Amino acid sequence: MTLSIAKPLIRRHAELGIFLIGAVLIVVFTLTSDGKWANFYNIGTILQVTATLGLMSLGVALVIGTGEIDISVGSTFGMGALAYLWLAAHVDPSLAAVAAIAVGAAIGLVNGLLVTRTGTPSLIITLGTLMIFRGISIALTEGFSFSVPYAARKGWAYFGLGGGEFLGFNTALYWLIIVLVILMAMLKAMPFGNRLLAVGGSAESAHSRGVRVDRIKLSAFVLCGVLAAFAGTLEAGKLGFADGSMGRLMELQAIASCVLGGCLLAGGRMSLIGALMGAFVLSSVQSYLVVTGVRPQWFILILGLIVVIAAYGDRSLRQWALRK
Amino acid sequence: MTNTHPLIQVKSLDLHFGAFHALKNVSVDFHAGELIGLVGDNGAGKTTLIRVLCGIYAPSSGEVYFDGKKIEKFHPKLAIDQGIETIQQSVGLCDNLSIARNFYLGREPVKRVLGIPFLDFAKMREKSTRVIRQFGLRENVSADDEVERLSGGERQSVKIGRAVEFMNRVVIMDEPTNHLSVREREHVNELAVQLKEQGLLVIYITHDIFQVHKLADRVVIMENGEKVADASTDALTAEELEEVIRQGGRLVEKREAV
Repeated sequence: MTLSIAKPLIRRHAELGIFLIGAVLIVVFTLTSDGKWANFYNIGTILQVTATLGLMSLGVALVIGTGEIDISVGSTFGMGALAYLWLAAHVDPSLAAVAAIAVGAAIGLVNGLLVTRTGTPSLIITLGTLMIFRGISIALTEGFSFSVPYAARKGWAYFGLGGGEFLGFNTALYWLIIVLVILMAMLKAMPFGNRLLAVGGSAESAHSRGVRVDRIKLSAFVLCGVLAAFAGTLEAGKLGFADGSMGRLMELQAIASCVLGGCLLAGGRMSLIGALMGAFVLSSVQSYLVVTGVRPQWFILILGLIVVIAAYGDRSLRQWALRK
Repeated sequence: MTNTHPLIQVKSLDLHFGAFHALKNVSVDFHAGELIGLVGDNGAGKTTLIRVLCGIYAPSSGEVYFDGKKIEKFHPKLAIDQGIETIQQSVGLCDNLSIARNFYLGREPVKRVLGIPFLDFAKMREKSTRVIRQFGLRENVSADDEVERLSGGERQSVKIGRAVEFMNRVVIMDEPTNHLSVREREHVNELAVQLKEQGLLVIYITHDIFQVHKLADRVVIMENGEKVADASTDALTAEELEEVIRQGGRLVEKREAV
């Protein structure tokens, strides 16, 4: 059978499933939306959403790669956005972005230390910090929103941090590409990536080979926090304002992106490019529902259906590929 | 041999896993240039003892000295840095990684570009397979193949090859000939003797009493977390050794008393 040639490829590349799903959805969305979905402006919007969700997903993918999980990223995203906006109104946006990233790193550090020092499952720890930092965001904004005055929305730094476009695309997209290249190099071609995947594959074996398992996990949590806060910064830059609920439920989309993209929740197997494709698929679905006039409240329901169907389809595909 | 100071000295070691008393007041000396057979039934504490020596477990009480210096912190990284290589029985390989990546896990060779460490893939691939092939890795298996897809013998060959590549002062082998063919088994046993002759300390755990009697200079017998006997293989025949294990070390005590 000619199809069986594809088996080793699917075994080796868990992200193929999401690329197939993505390709099918692109065709379906293009054919059924009367040009409202597949046009340059709309694709640009999708890519902007993909960029922020994608940055968050990349961070979550790293944590999932170690066999842990971080569901606090939605709140970290919100904290990053608020930190950026609050400071950008007073100092240069580049400094504000650095501060926002530091906030993200600090949240990642808290998560990582709690998980590695106490040995408590990361699911429950980050569920707790998800609520803690959401609560802090709401308390900080006191029901109002933080914003940068229109007069201050100018300058290279502001435009470069999601507040402007370059060659027709929001600058967040270019940040995503830069981060993707750096992380792929780290994961595939540096000792850190080797150890990270080893920890996810078998923490016990990695430990026996002298890998500092806790340090690797801690680094993954910090990177994840940094990326989520940076994504929040770029989103805040685009909108110019943010309230206490910014990024709410994004953690679920980020995890869905990772899993759809071929990251194994048990750890050890992950695909950064797959996680991004997952983020692109979710953003595309969202956009399709908007441009075809489906009410936004249906979004989460349809998203859930797609996640369930795609996860099942992906699993079937992989089981088929594993059969001899 | 015993006139030099021991390379590894274990003093009154105790280890509890919750309510389970895994090691009970174990004291034993190991010297450089010795091949020690560590024997005993399943659950006797052999693997637990060597996992303390290679840093995986920290003891509840007691002391371990390496080259005369007391070990304060137990971590596999520290043991490896001191030159203790271990062929573990059930851990040591990450199924999701390739042979080359497993081989160098924790001490990956790097090439620096602008100060950034990048893995030296050419070296990792070439060297790992060259070493492992001696221990039974098939020619058609590549260094990029995931360990998950290897047979039991090939997995073992990866662990043995790795220990040989990095061996330094101590090589601990926990059931090294498991899953190996007769020819590969002989190869591993010859290797153990060679390493000893090069002046390394070799600690060899096995169930095969006749094999260990042939190889080892000294056997340490454990039962229920205790060291029950410690005798030179010149002083005992293999049959006597078997009897000692069956009786939990009482025969040796009787002899020493005589």
